[in-house]
Amino acid sequence: MPKSKAVKREKPKERFSYDPTKVLNKLEEYGRRILEDIKVGKNPYFDIPTRGLNNVYFDEKRRVIRMGDKLSRRYFLNVAHTRKFMQTLLLMAYVKRLVSENKHASLREAYYANKHTIPGTKENTFEDQRESDPIIEDLERMMGVLREEMHLTADRRGYIYGDIVIRDGEDEFNTSKLGMGGWAVPGTVEHLQFVEVNVDYALVVETAAMADRLIEEKFPKKENALIIATQGQASRGVRRLIHRLHYEEGLPIIVFTDGDPYGWYIYSTIKQGSINLAYLSEKLATPEAKFVGMTMDDIERYGLKNVTEKLKGIPPNKKGGPTGDYKRIIEEMNYPWFQNKEWQRQLQLALKMGVRIEQQALANKSLEFVAKRYLPEKINNGELLP
Amino acid sequence: MAEAKQLFKEFKIQSVSEFFRRNAAMLGYTGKIRSLTTVIHEAVTNSLDACEEAGILPYVRVEIEELGREHYKVIVEDNGPGIPEKYITHVFGKMLAGTKAHRNIQSRGQQGIGISGAVMFAQITSGKATRVITSTGDDKIIEAWVKIDVDKNEGKIVRKEKHPNPKGWRGTRIELEVKNVRYVRSKQGVYWYLKLTAIANPHAHIELIEPDGKLIVFPRSSEEIPEPPVEMKPHPRGVLTDDVYRMAKKTRRNTVKRFLIGEFSRISDKKVDELIEYIAALRLIKTEKDKNVQEQLYERLAKGEVKAVLRSFRGYTKVVKQVAKIMEKPPEKLTWQEAEEIVEAFKYMKFLAPPTHGLRPIGEENIEKGLRGILKPEFVTAVTRPPKVYSGGIPFQVEVGLAYGGEIQSGFDLLRYANRVPLLFDAGSCVTTLAARSIDWKRYKVDDLERAPLVLMINVISVHVPYTGTGKQSIANVDEIQNEIRLAIMDAARKLQTYLSGKHRRLAQVKRRKTFEKYVPEIARALSVLTGEPEEAIREYFISYIENHFAAKASQAGAGEVSENA
Repeated sequence: MPKSKAVKREKPKERFSYDPTKVLNKLEEYGRRILEDIKVGKNPYFDIPTRGLNNVYFDEKRRVIRMGDKLSRRYFLNVAHTRKFMQTLLLMAYVKRLVSENKHASLREAYYANKHTIPGTKENTFEDQRESDPIIEDLERMMGVLREEMHLTADRRGYIYGDIVIRDGEDEFNTSKLGMGGWAVPGTVEHLQFVEVNVDYALVVETAAMADRLIEEKFPKKENALIIATQGQASRGVRRLIHRLHYEEGLPIIVFTDGDPYGWYIYSTIKQGSINLAYLSEKLATPEAKFVGMTMDDIERYGLKNVTEKLKGIPPNKKGGPTGDYKRIIEEMNYPWFQNKEWQRQLQLALKMGVRIEQQALANKSLEFVAKRYLPEKINNGELLP
Repeated sequence: MAEAKQLFKEFKIQSVSEFFRRNAAMLGYTGKIRSLTTVIHEAVTNSLDACEEAGILPYVRVEIEELGREHYKVIVEDNGPGIPEKYITHVFGKMLAGTKAHRNIQSRGQQGIGISGAVMFAQITSGKATRVITSTGDDKIIEAWVKIDVDKNEGKIVRKEKHPNPKGWRGTRIELEVKNVRYVRSKQGVYWYLKLTAIANPHAHIELIEPDGKLIVFPRSSEEIPEPPVEMKPHPRGVLTDDVYRMAKKTRRNTVKRFLIGEFSRISDKKVDELIEYIAALRLIKTEKDKNVQEQLYERLAKGEVKAVLRSFRGYTKVVKQVAKIMEKPPEKLTWQEAEEIVEAFKYMKFLAPPTHGLRPIGEENIEKGLRGILKPEFVTAVTRPPKVYSGGIPFQVEVGLAYGGEIQSGFDLLRYANRVPLLFDAGSCVTTLAARSIDWKRYKVDDLERAPLVLMINVISVHVPYTGTGKQSIANVDEIQNEIRLAIMDAARKLQTYLSGKHRRLAQVKRRKTFEKYVPEIARALSVLTGEPEEAIREYFISYIENHFAAKASQAGAGEVSENA
């Protein structure tokens, strides 16, 4: 099959930049500043960017969800702040030890490692992991570093398969030579180095079942593609990996999800970032990603009408509506980054038809159909949504 | 139809003891617990009054011995002026003949039955005479056994002994033997009564020996002897026809006019001239046949248009002259009807408010001393309001004390007094209770009144306290009195509020400080890891920072409220 010009590797835009001394310097700087404040009789504080919707905006120019500049000041001498102030410092000290000793800890380990009873009281430094997790997020926001850079690992989910060579610590391997299961993406990908990249693009696949199907059909080899299975909403590790592959290796990113509001939302998160992690968009989002399917047009084009499923919830024109899937579609229609003709048309169509379609529905044609016809046809013809 | 003769066969003159038995409730002798309290009340009141009048700091000792089932001996001893021998029978034997009865004077007792009632009660329950030991501090001590001749209403001494008095002892000790009573440490009992008495009389040292031999001392907390109350002339708005009639019979003045001016307060020559016009006007109005017209005339009179009312009748000057003649005749010739006319006219006239110099409040300082000395609270305050008038002419005064915390147990207590006498019964219907309950205590930082360690004392002082019943244990709900009580309570409660909010603030401050301090070791350890400076030094920085902050705060707080923004 001839190679199309629609999708091809570009020149790298960013260089791998992980530097543990940067994190250590920042931590020391904060500590020094607080000590100086207290010495001169000033109430020490941290300035932490505010979380939540009211401090998030869509950066039209860079096409990502970004965090605003609203700060909240966390003082030592304030009854409402002082406990969090103490917790922030505890975790900062912990991070310093982790990074300087080059050890990694999960969020849960970080919680247990810092939990103890405060002498002379019945109070614990942390009562619950729900107390330590937000402080770690605060540190990310405050210092502008990823928690992965602080050696605090995120959930591990997703895997990759394809002809690339990765160096992970002392190990070096080709992710197409590890068997059908590929290589599981770790919680933190900061330390990975891409030794060789012999693929033209990365195909991000929502479900593991579909990724497995494509590997079995030898799609990566035939199409010279890297398969990245997200297994649902993409984890931070996977998102960061996608980002790095795109910016450091110039790989085009093509996303393949179900044709339903959840699938489109997964795409939106990979592309623009999320509200929750808006402060990390610049490191996690990949605005240049494109969408291959499933689209509403596919139903007509490939004759899949009988394998669609009804949308859940009440449509907007019915009493009590919209709810469920309908409601989410309408929400997505209002996203700034879906404000273009193609996406508006898709979403309108979904509302009108009242159906959703899964990736696996393509198996209705034949097991090879997705690998041999659907994807190559659309990708090579550049029939992608922005 | 029965013959009058037959009916009158049953007619007897009621003896005093008969009266006493029938009216025991009225005099406070009802119930086994209350009867004992009443006996002691009468004796202690006599002692306190006697001491006050003689300018002696009272020392009163009450002793109760259990002789058998519901059978006690009550001993009350004081350091008062003593009783001259020839007055012993008067003091203890004659009922309805006290020194203060029918005088316009603020007093603890009022009926003039007092101690003779107690003697009578002892006599009819145990059959025993009351033993009196007294000396005025001269060379002899009199010991007398007193009984009451119920038919003659006279005291008689059944036995008398004289003893030498080498040490110059002065005072009075009486011993009464009573039955059908019971000693209980309840809120209606002797203990509680004496405790309340001690609070309202901080200048008195009071001791109680309970039947089981336990000695309880309510020590003196003030060295200031209250001035004895003075007699006040009655105010025209506060008198009844009977008062005017009876006073007229007794007076030494030679005309009605001189009698009115001399024996009532706020009556002058001019007021008598006015009185003549009012009486004349009232006489004339009564001749008017048309009810509507009559009503209108009464109304105009009440507005003070007496001259206009008079002029509306033809030949009114004749009537005025007739009335003027009443004023010139000797007072003993004043008829009941004329007295009635005078009192009616008084109701329409305007007078200056009555004088209040005869009222003897305990005083804010002494209330505080009393509450502090007996209850040992952490906070105490008192308010004595200026005198006011109710029913147009009866002066009264209200004072309250508030004691909070310290040794006071939780649970709100209301201590009620009338002229310093504790009221132990009928709390529910008392104006003091109504007033205390009508206060929104939450507004004064007392969040849960029923569980607050709070004691409120209320003393209502008047030459005529309007009791609700003959038991004299509950003050009637007179608007003017309730208002004054409320104002006094609110005033005192505001001071309590200031104290409580200051206390809350200090407590909160300590708590805040602790909150910061407890995190310091954690912070120091973390900062030491981050900066490499020694943990101990960092801890010092933080502790001294907190120290300075709260020291600055405390000095600011002295100047006033401080905002709580740390």
